[in-house]
Amino acid sequence: MMYTPQDYKSELKPIWCPGCGDYGVVQAIYRALARVGRPPHEIAFVSGIGCSSRIPGYTTTYGFNSVHGRALPIAQGIKIARPELLVLVAGGDGDGFSIGGGHVAHAIRRNVDLTYIVMDNQIYGLTKGQLSPTSPRGLHTVSSPEGSLEDPVNPLLYVLGYGGRFVAQGTPADLTGLTQLIDDGLRYPGFAFINVQSPCVTYGSPDAQLKAHKASMKSLASLGHDEGDRLRAMELAAEYGRSLHTGIFYRDPDPPPAYEALVADRRRAMFDPGATRARVLETFAFR
Amino acid sequence: MVANALQPIVRMAATADRTKPIVVPDYCKGCGRCIDACEHHCIEPGRDIDPATGLVPVRIHLEHCTACGLCFDACPEPYGLRPAFFDAEGSERPRVARHDLAGTPTPEPIPDAVAALPPGQPLVIKGVYASAVGAILAGCRHFFGYPITPSTEGAELMARLLPHLDGQFVQAVSEVAAINMMYGAGAAGVRATTFTSSPGFSLMLEGLSYMVGATVPGVVVNVMRGGPGLGNIAPGQSDIKLACRGLGHGDTHAIVLAPSTPQEMLDLTMLAFDLSFKYRNPVIVLADGYVAQMTGRVTLPRTMVRPGVPAWAVAGDEAHRRNLITSIYLSETELEARNERLFAKYARITDAEPRADLFQCDDAELLIVACNTPARMAKGAVRTLRAQGVKAGLFRPLTLWPFPICALAPVLSRARRVVVVEASDGQLEDEMRLAISRADLATPSITSVNRYGGVLPSHDEIVSRVIGVARPHALGATA
Repeated sequence: MMYTPQDYKSELKPIWCPGCGDYGVVQAIYRALARVGRPPHEIAFVSGIGCSSRIPGYTTTYGFNSVHGRALPIAQGIKIARPELLVLVAGGDGDGFSIGGGHVAHAIRRNVDLTYIVMDNQIYGLTKGQLSPTSPRGLHTVSSPEGSLEDPVNPLLYVLGYGGRFVAQGTPADLTGLTQLIDDGLRYPGFAFINVQSPCVTYGSPDAQLKAHKASMKSLASLGHDEGDRLRAMELAAEYGRSLHTGIFYRDPDPPPAYEALVADRRRAMFDPGATRARVLETFAFR
Repeated sequence: MVANALQPIVRMAATADRTKPIVVPDYCKGCGRCIDACEHHCIEPGRDIDPATGLVPVRIHLEHCTACGLCFDACPEPYGLRPAFFDAEGSERPRVARHDLAGTPTPEPIPDAVAALPPGQPLVIKGVYASAVGAILAGCRHFFGYPITPSTEGAELMARLLPHLDGQFVQAVSEVAAINMMYGAGAAGVRATTFTSSPGFSLMLEGLSYMVGATVPGVVVNVMRGGPGLGNIAPGQSDIKLACRGLGHGDTHAIVLAPSTPQEMLDLTMLAFDLSFKYRNPVIVLADGYVAQMTGRVTLPRTMVRPGVPAWAVAGDEAHRRNLITSIYLSETELEARNERLFAKYARITDAEPRADLFQCDDAELLIVACNTPARMAKGAVRTLRAQGVKAGLFRPLTLWPFPICALAPVLSRARRVVVVEASDGQLEDEMRLAISRADLATPSITSVNRYGGVLPSHDEIVSRVIGVARPHALGATA
């Protein structure tokens, strides 16, 4: 059966502010899911807490608006319990790189087959405009009235630095490109990270809105970037905050088996359906 | 040269060349690998802690030592066990830098100073702002927080004010980070606070347990919202159990203060700092989303505090070098003794610090028990009921732990019925019942008016329930 983007769109009307970048992200997700073509009931969509984490509710997939910062552990639990599901994870930059920052490194090294979409707007929108982990140094917010004294996290370098094997960045200002990135991420057999520059229209910087993205974005393909070149990817990723590169920074040309595939192998090797009671007891005996 | 290269490079030592081991206490961690390696049982586990390193080095008896050298191979430390001739030479071995504490003075406490505030007009501000102002007037200059509705405006005010007052506001990466920053600042003897709301408070419990264990002060303002889980951002009271009975792991307790008005948000936050430093224990200001967001008249006190430095603080100077703050006591008996000291402190708090506000309780036959915003509805209900001839009174605990049973007991003997009004599933009622039981008082007839999920009990609900309780027959006849 063929699916259309409409099949993944729920009855719920998004309550994001008009002009929010997340509208574009959810559209790109509808389109990418239609291209991948899995039925909605075979997809689990997990999010944390924040404006952007409302996103599973706007899709017809199984959804889990979970705990602040804990979307990745919860998604890993789902994928390990039900490896046949397609598991998407989404959230904001605060969810992913502040309170949940510690989980990202371990999701990367465990390499569970998840697609993690971070809607990065450099601000805390839901709590009305405080500093976020990706806010630029010097940003004036209600929690940094004299300007932030901290450097931002660079999500791209962070994930590359921890050994991420699929690292991309998009913007809703380029819906076609973003759709393709999510499509690629969903098909990548392992942990895939897509940073989406999704501006906050209410508390975000006026010069970081979608129109500005449209003018400043530069596709990595147009730069002739080789997506198998991790070191060059890190050089380009270091320009986060100064240039808006879109596309795939790095995709492992030879992806290793994902965690749940290794788990399945080990289970097959060790599980003995014909085991006798004596054999089971022997497993627990001290030797 | 070629011939030399072919010579065996390791020469077996003659027995006379070999040397017996000595323990270098600076480096021996007492792992015991040498004990297992020794064929002649020359080495035994140590019993004494080396004062310089805090390690427990092994002990060696050389009577039966054959200088076989197996212990040298077993020792994982480059300098843990050394052949005796190295010690004779002495100079080669690096030494742990020992800080000689013998000459350091015993720290003297620098007392708090009180400065006068000029009289002024009352402020008309939100409850969370009042709490922030209270913290500043109590000498707090360090705020560590993470945004969470409905507490964030207090943090935002701190972010604006503290830099002007030689203080620092830090937006932490999470509530876990925030409470541990509180742990650090409190250990340095500094007055620190954080504002949070229920889910964030859950995340802080581990750190709070460490602060109680390490006897570190600090004030946590928890603006309760609807739970469990994410719940909602409307007012609730369902963290009473957590604050009074569940402050993380271990036998922990902290004074829990329950404000009802913006004025009390200020007053009780100031009190919280006093109590926190008096007892070297965290104090919880347990507000609800309504009183925190409500704007009201707040009169400032006539004095403010310029905090000193407590003698126990690890203040980071020469005078405080001897101080040690820790919650780890690996010896069971030492931990038990430390816990008994904590329990003695809890007992002193239970004797000295219960507080309550009694409204028309003197002749009350029916007692309403409520705290936080629901106490305001209850107060209105008492007035309405009095007008209808019901002798009602309001008992409002200001400390939920310790529960002010000493104030409740005398009025309880007169009141025949008690109605507990709260926005939780009987958490305040449980605190009261436990206090009544512990005090060996007769349990009165208790009715409850509860609302949940962010809804507060209303004046009318309380009145109609109380009339049902007070005049069941009359109500039954009209129904």
